[in-house]
This record gives sequence, structure tokens and C-alpha cells, in this order.
Amino acid sequence: MEPVNLFDLATRQSQWLAVRQSAIASNIANANTPGYPANDVEPFEKVLDRTAVTLAATQTGHLGAETANAGFNVKPEDPNGAIMPSKNTVVLEQELMKAGEVRRSFELNTAIVKAFHSMMTMVVKS
Amino acid sequence: MDALTAALKVAASGLGAQSERLRVVSENLANAQSTGSTPGADPYRRKTITFQSEVDRASGGSLVEVNSISRDPSDFPIEFQPGNEAADAKGYVKMPNVNTLVEMADMSEANRSYEANLQVIKQARDLISMTIDLMRNQ
Amino acid sequence: MIGGIGAIQFKTAVDGAESASPGLLQGGVGTQAGESVGSTFAEVLGQAATKTVNTLQGAEQMSIQALKGDADTRQVVDAVLSAQQALQTTIAIRDKVVSAYLEISRMSI
Repeated sequence: MEPVNLFDLATRQSQWLAVRQSAIASNIANANTPGYPANDVEPFEKVLDRTAVTLAATQTGHLGAETANAGFNVKPEDPNGAIMPSKNTVVLEQELMKAGEVRRSFELNTAIVKAFHSMMTMVVKS
Repeated sequence: MDALTAALKVAASGLGAQSERLRVVSENLANAQSTGSTPGADPYRRKTITFQSEVDRASGGSLVEVNSISRDPSDFPIEFQPGNEAADAKGYVKMPNVNTLVEMADMSEANRSYEANLQVIKQARDLISMTIDLMRNQ
Repeated sequence: MIGGIGAIQFKTAVDGAESASPGLLQGGVGTQAGESVGSTFAEVLGQAATKTVNTLQGAEQMSIQALKGDADTRQVVDAVLSAQQALQTTIAIRDKVVSAYLEISRMSI
């Protein structure tokens, strides 16, 4: 397996988390919209498998050209539980829980980046 | 527009929609006893609100907006109030088709959704802040 | 990636000092007691460097796991903290070795 650049992986994950956050926001805003299916982004592991070849290379301008969804697939998730007559499948509590997960992962992500960045600068300063 | 800013926009639209919903509920509650002013006249007819989602081109998020505010077509309940100015020949008055309990339940649902949207705004704002913080304290 | 940094800085300092004045880093009293003491100062430094590199690599692996989504938060934090401590120590030692070498080289014979 090719060596993975830590900072690139962290950037990719934070973009994925941002897209997930906006999917959660859409779900919560449309919790009472008839016919609205609850969306979620594809799992991060799938994203990694798809872009395994390109992760190792540095690509400064590449990601800027993509849309707000940054190339991740956002699609309706399978509804588990009762289907309401209005065909709306948003469960508010689940969305809030997902938002909590996003927050925790994001905090870990930025903390890791900060720590390794400071370690790298530590070495250079004498 | 990056995803976090899109999330802010979407959640803000959610706040707006739920506020409209609360407005409709409070109108219904305020007029729950508003009968007509002439004999046999129709009273206040309950208002209903429906939402629709719309994909915002710039951000790619699904905004929510009010589809329409229309009237509940169900029948008016009738009460016996011969002294009322809207009483017909037999003394029956048509009352608004507003069920207070239903309106209260709707109101607490709207509050819940409003709170949830507010949470999303707070969190999106915090995530943006955390990202910028990476650069601070060099 | 990260581990290499610690190793390069450190190994260079140790090897440089060793080659410039061979025997500098051999303990004076210590080696007279023979191989039973086991290691020269250079070897001790080398072992410390290896440990640091391993700690750094461990932290990097844990972090990559965490970013992919499945790692215990506390373990990741512990690994990164240990790495920071180890790196800090290594850098302090490196600086001391370099300044000691410079001081010795300035000594008039």
C-alpha cells in the first residue's frame, strides 16, 4: 500500500465532514417537507477506496474546481422504521446524533493537524 | 460556496420556514373563538401551511421554503348559543374549525424543529471557527 | 513522513560528532570496564533516536486510523502526546550534543 500523506488525508476528511454537515442541515431544514427523502453522504471508507491512487499526490488546485459537494456522493439513505404517509423520512433525533458525530470527528481532525504541524515546525526551529 | 457555508444557508431557511409555521399556528389560536358577525355567517377558517424543498444552485443544498398558506376545508363545528350575534334562526352558531390541542401540538413541533435548525447553525459556525483557528497561535 | 524528520536531525548530529573526533563519544571510564557495560554513549543516543522515531511513527499510524474513522480517541491523544514529548526531548538532546561538540572543538589543545 502506498504511504498516505497525513495532512492530505486530514484535508479530505474535513471536506467529507463538511459535506455531511450540509446534508444533515438539509435534512433538518426539510423535516416537515412532504416527500423529502433524508439524505446522507457515502461512507468515508468508500471515498478512500475510490480515490486511493490520487491521495498520495499533492494537488493544490485540483480540489478547488469541484462543486460544494467536493465530488462526494450524497444520496437518499435507506429509511429504517415506519414510513410516514407524507413520505418524509427525516428523524430529527438521528440527524442531531449524526451532527454530534460530525463535530467530534472534526475536532479530532483539527487537533491532529495542529499537533503534527507544531511538531514539524518544532524540528525546524532550533 | 463551500459545504459549511451552504449548511448555514440551509439552516437559516429552515428557521424562516418554522417561523412562518409558528405565525400560522398563533393566528389560528388567536382566532379559535372568532365567530362571524351576522346571523348564519361563516366564522374564522383555520389556516394550514405546507413546505417544499428547493435545491439552491449556488450551494447545492436543499433549502426549504413555504409552498402555500391555505385554508382547512373541513366543516365548522356547531354550538348552541342563541345569544350570539351569529346565531341562526334555531340559535346555532358555526364555530371556527380550530382544535386548540392540535394547534398546541403543532406549536411544540415547530419549536423543536426551530431549535434543531438553530443547533445546526451553531455547529456549522463552530466548525468554520475551528478550521480558521488552525492558523492561529503560531 | 514525520518519523523521518526526527531520525535525520538526530542521526546526523550523532554521526557528525562521531566522525569528526572518533572516540569523542566513547565513554572514558565506562568502556574500560569492558564490554560488560555494553554500550557506548553513541549507541545510547542511537537507541534513544530509534525509540523516538518509533513513537512518532506510532502516533502517525494512530492518527491515520483516527482520520479513517475507527480509532479510540483517548489512544490517539495519548499517542500524539507521547510523540510530542519524545520529539521535544530528542530536539533538546540534539541541541545539547551540537553545542557540546562545538564547545569541545573550540577548546585549545
